[in-house]
Amino acid sequence: MRCAMFKTMTRRFLLIALVLAAAAGAARAQTAHDIIAGADRVRNPGEPFRTTSVLTEYVRGQPRDQTVLTVYSKEDNASGQFRNLVRYVEPPRDAGKMALLDGQNLWFYDPAAKSSVRISTKQRLVGQASIGDVLTINFAVDYTGTLLGDETITDAEHQTRDCWHLDLRAATPTAVYSRAEYWVEHGSFWPIKTKFYSDSGRVLKVLYYRGFTQRLGAVRPGAAVIIDAVDSTLVTTVRFDNPAFQDIPDFWYQRDYLPRLRPE
Amino acid sequence: MRWCGAMLFAGLVAGLVAATPAFSAGEDSDLERIPAQTPADTAPEQPTSSSKDVNYLGEALEISGTRHGLAVPYPSPRPATWENWLFLDTRDEWRLGEAWRLNYSGRLNLRTSNSIPFPTHENARNDLRELFVEWQPTETVWIELGRVNIRNGVALGFNPTDFFRPRTVIEPLTGDPSVLREDRLGVLMLTGQALWRYGSVTVAYAPRVTTPTAIYNIRNEQNFDPGFDRTNAEDRVLLKTSLNLAERFNPELLYYHAGSRTQIGANLTTPVGRNIVAYLEWAGGSRPDLIADAFHYGRMTGALPAAVTALLPNSADARFMNDLSLGASYTTESRVTFNLEYHFHEAGFSSTDWSNWFNASARRGFIPGVNSALWYLRSYAQDQQEPESRHTAFLRMDWQDAFVTDLELTALAAVNLQDASWFSQATAEYHLSRAWTIAGLVSGTYGGRRSEYGSLPGVASVLLRASRYF
Repeated sequence: MRCAMFKTMTRRFLLIALVLAAAAGAARAQTAHDIIAGADRVRNPGEPFRTTSVLTEYVRGQPRDQTVLTVYSKEDNASGQFRNLVRYVEPPRDAGKMALLDGQNLWFYDPAAKSSVRISTKQRLVGQASIGDVLTINFAVDYTGTLLGDETITDAEHQTRDCWHLDLRAATPTAVYSRAEYWVEHGSFWPIKTKFYSDSGRVLKVLYYRGFTQRLGAVRPGAAVIIDAVDSTLVTTVRFDNPAFQDIPDFWYQRDYLPRLRPE
Repeated sequence: MRWCGAMLFAGLVAGLVAATPAFSAGEDSDLERIPAQTPADTAPEQPTSSSKDVNYLGEALEISGTRHGLAVPYPSPRPATWENWLFLDTRDEWRLGEAWRLNYSGRLNLRTSNSIPFPTHENARNDLRELFVEWQPTETVWIELGRVNIRNGVALGFNPTDFFRPRTVIEPLTGDPSVLREDRLGVLMLTGQALWRYGSVTVAYAPRVTTPTAIYNIRNEQNFDPGFDRTNAEDRVLLKTSLNLAERFNPELLYYHAGSRTQIGANLTTPVGRNIVAYLEWAGGSRPDLIADAFHYGRMTGALPAAVTALLPNSADARFMNDLSLGASYTTESRVTFNLEYHFHEAGFSSTDWSNWFNASARRGFIPGVNSALWYLRSYAQDQQEPESRHTAFLRMDWQDAFVTDLELTALAAVNLQDASWFSQATAEYHLSRAWTIAGLVSGTYGGRRSEYGSLPGVASVLLRASRYF
């Protein structure tokens, strides 16, 4: 009798434990998405905006090149992802070149040849335009996240930050990287660090967000440091200047508008 | 036994203790790479906009090797074995009020060569690429009047829909078709373009303002003439629409009418996965074959006698002919992009045409007049930027930041699929600084004596170039 009662209690206990475990797992998956979406909202406002990205390349610690890009960003209501128009301002040899980065609608325009070339998601990483729009990637749209746990890390300004540590896997063909690790600060949802991986699992670059200031209606990162993991001599800093909300018509985001985009 | 367990535990703890600093060091080594002297967040902000003007001073020296014992002797003047260019390349835009702009694009050349005397008027030449006024009456409409360079096409090696390309390239410093467009003449025209969310419509009318002229060679190029005889020797109309049907599919459809000929065309592109873009460019219309076209043009401009049409079999009757570029680009993890294309030019030389071309000179005892007429056919194809052969494969590789930052390597090959001869070119370009760029280019032609590329007078060339941007 006691034995049967014990068995029944054990079964109930196991059932409750299973239900709790399943519920906890579901909550954790939901939490990972919430964290990623929360960090997306810190990086990007919901309204269209324009910014000037100043990229400085350091080779062996010494500044070598500077690239200046103007980026026009607008969230696509259908996909939830940002559409970007990138215009090269500096160096002089690249002035006037444009890139349209809109999901899989990717084009590069060269005013010298007066022609636009369609590029692949992978080719988007070639050149500096991919860095110009690095802040506007909405990870929650293109990636599936898993919460790996909590971790205390050091940020680019050598401050310790208590973070959620997430593993991101590409979920759409528009995802620029196949995998990333992501550290987001507890409570503030500030993105602190991202480590990007290639298809083969090699670390490509490590990105630290920094310069959190009031901009575009909230506290957002105003700069980033990108440490190249393939070329160990190369570090690129990015500063996001002149952020301003701007009404951007939808018809801008097409190939034929690229030759028409003019400096303000 | 207990001692062994304690040792194992101690070993594990020691290992973990040793491993922890190693992990931290790995994280810290990232941070240690951040330069101490990065621009402060409070540094002066960059202006939100800047001019899109690009101006540079260029210097280029080319040395060429020539092939001897050609299957069809090359007429005089022989190609130069060295040429030097000092040039000022300018691309500027001026705002003329709220809705008006003036655009200029051109290259002023000072050239010397062992084929032209020095100093003479032939040493200076100005290429007026573009000069037009742009008016934007509404947010989505643009009207342009003047010399405008309209370029169509999505392929790299051959653009069947690039209808305004004939006769526009003057003196190329490269054999790379994708770079050739950077120094070509625009066409005097009136254009209009309207955009909306799901596409665009472009209309262009280029009037006839002069009569066709003979093909130029290195000795008789005009120096300060705008060259409307190259670009406006017949009335032309272009109608084009781009349709944004889907994110992955934006077809472009074209209608073109020049003189008495009409062509239609299409440009299709789509991404395939994350690494590949596939594309197709097609144009078709009624026309004679390349040989008949060249003979007709030669006779019309007085370069060839009327009896020349008997020199080679040709099809003067117009019929519907197709031009096609079918290709794909593939980008590797190392940021190397490959383009592979197949080109079909139905009006071009068939294997029989090539055989006739090689036999015609020998049959007539290598008479200079016959040789000139035969080489005229090939000069005509080059002037029109038409492939000489029907079937060509094209491969191009581009590697940015190759080995070191700011070094770009480009290599290409065009292979005649009928005789397996080929042209190849490799370029290394290095950006020394914000202002200075240097480049080296080597090219060569390979093939049997009776092949397209093996019969050319130029066997190899080296070009060195320096550019100073300002």
